[in-house]
Amino acid sequence: MADESLIEFLHAEIVKYVIDSNDDKVNTKCSLQKYISTLEYLGYITGFRIIERLTREWSPFKNELETMKFLCTDFWSSIYMKQIDNLRTNHKGVYVLQDNAFRYLVHLSSQKQYLEFAPRFVAFTCGLIRGALSNLGITCLVTAEVDQMPACKFHIQVQRS
Amino acid sequence: MTIYNFYLFDKNGTLLYYAEWFRVKQSGMTREEEGKLMYGMLFSLKTFVTRISPMDVKEGFLYYKTSKYVLNYFETPTGLKFVLNTDIVSPNNRDILQQIYSQIYVEYVVKNPLCSMNEAIESELFKTKLDEFIKRTPIYSVRSV
Repeated sequence: MADESLIEFLHAEIVKYVIDSNDDKVNTKCSLQKYISTLEYLGYITGFRIIERLTREWSPFKNELETMKFLCTDFWSSIYMKQIDNLRTNHKGVYVLQDNAFRYLVHLSSQKQYLEFAPRFVAFTCGLIRGALSNLGITCLVTAEVDQMPACKFHIQVQRS
Repeated sequence: MTIYNFYLFDKNGTLLYYAEWFRVKQSGMTREEEGKLMYGMLFSLKTFVTRISPMDVKEGFLYYKTSKYVLNYFETPTGLKFVLNTDIVSPNNRDILQQIYSQIYVEYVVKNPLCSMNEAIESELFKTKLDEFIKRTPIYSVRSV
């Protein structure tokens, strides 16, 4: 097992790299969208692959809620060394996963400082969740919301066909 | 027992952070000038100690003491310099500096991608954590007036 901080430093550099390579000084709004979606895509691929490895000893999940519970416990603790602190759902395909001390934000701030930079540090994880669920047969949309660092809420909206 | 103030320099002598708690007398110059003066003194002292030492130096300069205060010095292999001024009755404070380095600087500056490592530290979280840490140390709380 590699040192925990290795992934943190690597993640920080990936974020920086993606932002620098997408730096478009003419239209900053457009480049924000661009780098967020690049990071999300990287997360998606990673999540899609890692779930294969994590569930190799599991039998298929009974339903959507069971899948989400797996995500909050085993999936999260194998990646972020802790479980999700709160899982809520409206039973209509919307799930909210709350992590009160999200790993990529915990060293940044405990107040409002740096809040404007939060989106770039959660985009990868949004993709990670989406990729994992996608491989488990759930198509969804994942967004993140940060009100107060280091807490982060991930909204999962399952797309019903 | 008291902690007066704290300086953090990088290997090039930039003053990364300054904090004070019970400093009674100010130096009468800007913080920037004071930082340069302090760094210059530390640099000379370090060289002096290494040159004059009659035997092989292991740790080099550790602290100095006047009739009123002790300046505790801790340098990392990467050249960061931690300086803490305390009163003369406080015991050896090296471990405090070591902890500031490993538990606060590394956690909240090195692991914060938004903190540049060779500029003054802006992070509020670092500031809060350092203040909390200093106020928790036994030499801070047992204060004789």
